[in-house]
Amino acid sequence: MKNILTIDTSTDRTSVGLVIDGVLCFETHHDDPLAHGEVLPKLVQDALNIGTPIDVVAIAMGPGPFTGLRVGIAFGQVFALAREIPWIGVSSLAAMAAVHDDPEFIVAIDARRREFFCEHYLDGKLYAPSRTVQREDLANVVLPKYFDPPTPLGIAKLASTSHSVLEPIYIRKPDAYPSPKGVKFRQWTHMDLVEIYGLEKSVYLDDPWSMEQFKEEFAGPSRQYLVAEYEGKVVGYAGIMLAGDVTDILTLTVAPDFRRRGIAREFLKRMVDWSRNQNVVAIMLEMRVDNVEAEPLYLENGFRKISERVDYYGPGLTAVVMRKELRK
Amino acid sequence: MIDQPLVLGIETSCDETAVGIVRGRTLLANVISSSVEEHARFGGVVPEIASRAHLEAMPSVIEEALKIAQISLRDLDAIGVTAGPGLIGALLVGTSAAHGLSLALDKPLFGVNHLSSHLAVDALDESRALTPAIGLLVSGGHSSIIQVTNLVSEFHVLGATIDDAAGEAFDKIARLLELDFPGGPAIDELAVAGDFDAIEFPRGLANSDYNFSFSGLKTAVSRYLQSTPNALKADVAASFQEAVVDVLLTKAVRACTETGIEALIIAGGVAANSRLRSEATRRCAEAKIELRTPPRALCTDNGAMVAAISSLAVSAGVAPSRPGFATLSTAPVDRPIWG
Ligand SMILES: [Zn+2]
Repeated sequence: MKNILTIDTSTDRTSVGLVIDGVLCFETHHDDPLAHGEVLPKLVQDALNIGTPIDVVAIAMGPGPFTGLRVGIAFGQVFALAREIPWIGVSSLAAMAAVHDDPEFIVAIDARRREFFCEHYLDGKLYAPSRTVQREDLANVVLPKYFDPPTPLGIAKLASTSHSVLEPIYIRKPDAYPSPKGVKFRQWTHMDLVEIYGLEKSVYLDDPWSMEQFKEEFAGPSRQYLVAEYEGKVVGYAGIMLAGDVTDILTLTVAPDFRRRGIAREFLKRMVDWSRNQNVVAIMLEMRVDNVEAEPLYLENGFRKISERVDYYGPGLTAVVMRKELRK
Repeated sequence: MIDQPLVLGIETSCDETAVGIVRGRTLLANVISSSVEEHARFGGVVPEIASRAHLEAMPSVIEEALKIAQISLRDLDAIGVTAGPGLIGALLVGTSAAHGLSLALDKPLFGVNHLSSHLAVDALDESRALTPAIGLLVSGGHSSIIQVTNLVSEFHVLGATIDDAAGEAFDKIARLLELDFPGGPAIDELAVAGDFDAIEFPRGLANSDYNFSFSGLKTAVSRYLQSTPNALKADVAASFQEAVVDVLLTKAVRACTETGIEALIIAGGVAANSRLRSEATRRCAEAKIELRTPPRALCTDNGAMVAAISSLAVSAGVAPSRPGFATLSTAPVDRPIWG
């Protein structure tokens, strides 16, 4: 005999339920994407007023928007701690699927930014791992699609049958993620030039800067140069110069083995900060038109394409000029 | 009314996940889990990382505090939690956890103001009578001058920063000087070797009210460093620090003399700055003001201060907050306990 208190804050809905031996005894919810924190305590108070003892707290762990999701999890975990009862985490998508029995179907949660978190079920089993899809792509799928938030019955059903999901399910990467431990950021010195030049040649095979260019750049006024160092080795470098009322990023380079760890992001943040301190109106950069790795980083950080320079990097190598406004 | 209430306080307004437990005005436990190292590489607190870390740390920080205080949750008379100001996503983890405790245990919950609870640590010195005081609250998150008539019912923000917080200015200058984050301790240390009279940096809003401005100072330091390639970093650090300390204390002492209040409480992370402490001692003695500076562990964000103010509220018969009270990110609101 199990009395389960269910909590879900993984969608715009805040929902609380009481399920006793698989039977729904109480259900209440409130729809407001910004009010999970204020609503949840009141809904739980209503559930407690019924006076049923509670044996387990079942919490929908997402996927869902960060802030709302954390409200339900923080509340549920600490409630269980205080009552000295266990809590069980369930996947919100699995809880949604648990109340449908079509041979094949899709469950989806609005992930905002025109995207959905989706799971595809076939013959009662998860068919493809959960993923994020564009709204337009989802619209083209012909299978039955369910968008209703997780229900107390679905959550309770999963809580009784599957393993607990212990961590919140954050599908989207946080806006900032840490760079690898042990990476140190500091200014260039002349001592770094040989290493920087070596990295330059290995990264930009068809048109690296020459040693003379580096020396010239380095000697120029109104510039800021940074290196990222890992275990005494240079794994990235970046340079920016002041040019009138804007700053211009001269280079931003990370060794291939050290990419996708937040090093470029950290360089960019430091160069934006430096630019703000120069009181300029904008920060500019030129990027090769096919630089698919760097483009999302610049777009995320507020850079916009403003023009193209054909053959900037040599014949057939077009540059895209990007600009980020620093003052309104 | 409970005489010596046993109260647990939760604080998550910035990067510290903190739980404190007090009985009356006696501190029993003060546990802090900080995500500061995760923010260091960004040169400032990243809200998303802070919120994530709060959720991960919360249950274990509560359990650790209970163990140290040697009490069980059932023994509690009330729960307190920071309701604002602070980072909204971070605050929500704390208020949600606190509601979880309150509803599970059927105990009253107090949503409290972060600013007034900073000053309430003064109550944890039991030898002290709780007389009115001026509070100078200085940290990476705030720079305020607060008139405290009664910690739980009457406090009034006289002035605050109009741009950067004092601690934020320390962080930014530290970055210009290529020192580590957080910048406060790094500048404090470097300044010892420098001359605080070496460079005359501007004192923002020196002659007006009780508000502060540190952005002009930041720009001045930045310009100075650009125009002086061989600047002595220690002198820059000492002169910058002096400008901040001077303006903070001038206004705080003036608040005391103008209101006729004879005590000054300095709290917040910047209260650990050694120049601020020594200058405060000198100027307060000169102005015949009683200086009250809490121990360092209680200056930075902590749960003990939340428990302390909530305990005072219980003793004073203040009504608990209504369930589901709103968290506020940008207060300074002049109310210590949420309705
Ligand atoms: Zn604080």
